[in-house]
Amino acid sequence: MGPALVLEVRDVSLTLGGNHILHNLDMQIVNRVRSDKTTGQIAALLGPSGVGKTRLLRIIAGLDKPDAGTVIGHDGKSLAAGEVGVVFQHYPLLRHRTVRGNLETAGHMNGLSAKETKDKASELLERFGLAARGELYPVQLSGGQRQRAAIAQQLMKHKTMLLLDEPFSGLDPAALKEVIRLLVEVAHMHELNTLLIITHDIRAALVASDTVFLLGRQPDAAGKPTGPARVQRMIDLVALGLAWQSGAENTPEFARLERDIKDDFRAL
Amino acid sequence: MTHARRLFWPNRAIDKAMLLGVTGFWVALAFIVWLASPWASLPGPGEVFGALRSLWWEHGMGPELFTTLGLIGHALFLTVVISLLLSYATVINFFRPLVAAVSKLRFLGLTGLVAPFTLMTGGGYDLKIALLTFGMTTFFVTAMAQVVEEIPREQFDHLRVMGASETRILWEVVVLGTLDKALDILRQNLAIGWAMITMVEGISRAEGGLGAMILNQNKHFKLAEVFAILFVILAVGLVLDYLMALFTRLVCPHSVLERVKR
Repeated sequence: MGPALVLEVRDVSLTLGGNHILHNLDMQIVNRVRSDKTTGQIAALLGPSGVGKTRLLRIIAGLDKPDAGTVIGHDGKSLAAGEVGVVFQHYPLLRHRTVRGNLETAGHMNGLSAKETKDKASELLERFGLAARGELYPVQLSGGQRQRAAIAQQLMKHKTMLLLDEPFSGLDPAALKEVIRLLVEVAHMHELNTLLIITHDIRAALVASDTVFLLGRQPDAAGKPTGPARVQRMIDLVALGLAWQSGAENTPEFARLERDIKDDFRAL
Repeated sequence: MTHARRLFWPNRAIDKAMLLGVTGFWVALAFIVWLASPWASLPGPGEVFGALRSLWWEHGMGPELFTTLGLIGHALFLTVVISLLLSYATVINFFRPLVAAVSKLRFLGLTGLVAPFTLMTGGGYDLKIALLTFGMTTFFVTAMAQVVEEIPREQFDHLRVMGASETRILWEVVVLGTLDKALDILRQNLAIGWAMITMVEGISRAEGGLGAMILNQNKHFKLAEVFAILFVILAVGLVLDYLMALFTRLVCPHSVLERVKR
């Protein structure tokens, strides 16, 4: 018996407007275990623009139904909308509510009592460095604060699966480092916590995650990518000794892998 | 950048004191133009304010003003209820053709509708309410339905992934999320309704109101009185507009924060 799965995407196909987007896509995220510390999972889904990464995110989140295939969670059941947290690309928040109001609304929607909602919102605001910003409206937040508020809002209900659409886009190096630190912290808060990051930032994906999936189209005889997309490659960074290691990004192995993925990218 | 350049350069922000100064300048200029008006038939400020005093204290302008305010308030209430229900209904496919049809009716002029509406309402106060409500609703629905249509799909999905029911999504995203825009549109429609008031009140003068009053003064060619009533209509319109803006700021403080100062 293999390692326990926390997410399985099985034979997913999707056609939109006559275009075959995804075909028999399989993807498995395994439960990472370390005896000495609580270890969640961070997987990155890399792929060129327009290949269908966001479509796959919507299917995993339960927002779109695939033409065929299923998405199964850690408990072996199909996932539905509301069971998976999603932090969309532009960090949508309810513009008419304060940051605290946004968190509390999420708590109410998920059936928490008034006291639980208040306590949980305060705890998350504190943890995400937003305690002093709780009474501000989303428009008053910086991009980084908005991102943290959007993640905190998704954590109001304990969902083990959190999808993030392009969380690294438009960040300066310092902000990028901070976001990666935050994501790692969120992932390792619980053994079953699983973050799936949709991105085209190869380096950030390799730094943050323990598993990388390359989504892309199959090259034809002339080497031109064609047809629907599927997972072309899975990279186990734990097996390569590149996950959970401080400074791994400065090793020759990391640089080689990064170059290797860049080469793959050109062909997808 | 100097103050003068800020005033005349495009896309520059100025502070409140400066804005007040510029406003004062234009008001003073308008007053000077009025005083120095080349049209002899145009009553001067003294005549107009004299007529205003007389209308207010001797000819019952106060009660007429309240009659007009009651009429616009009643019509506005009906407009808000009908328009918001129709606009929010655009999220339900079944109602979309109905909302589109109501929106298209804005191309009908009110004058042509007096006869059918008289037959339907029996005339008088009900006719005025029907005309005002119709006039405002067609424009309100057009603008508000557009606002609802333009809500990005991401906002609906954002709540769906948080486990919200579709009713809760309707409340948070469609109703509360667009409340500031609804109030802004209401403010514009109040101005449209207020501009229509003289015409509508003139249709049936028995109930009185500022519209009936101005037509009566017009008939006797009392220009100073006509100008005095116009002055009151403008002043009350501006006060209503200010109160609406204040209400929007109080209810939706985020809308003020979202306005970008250039």
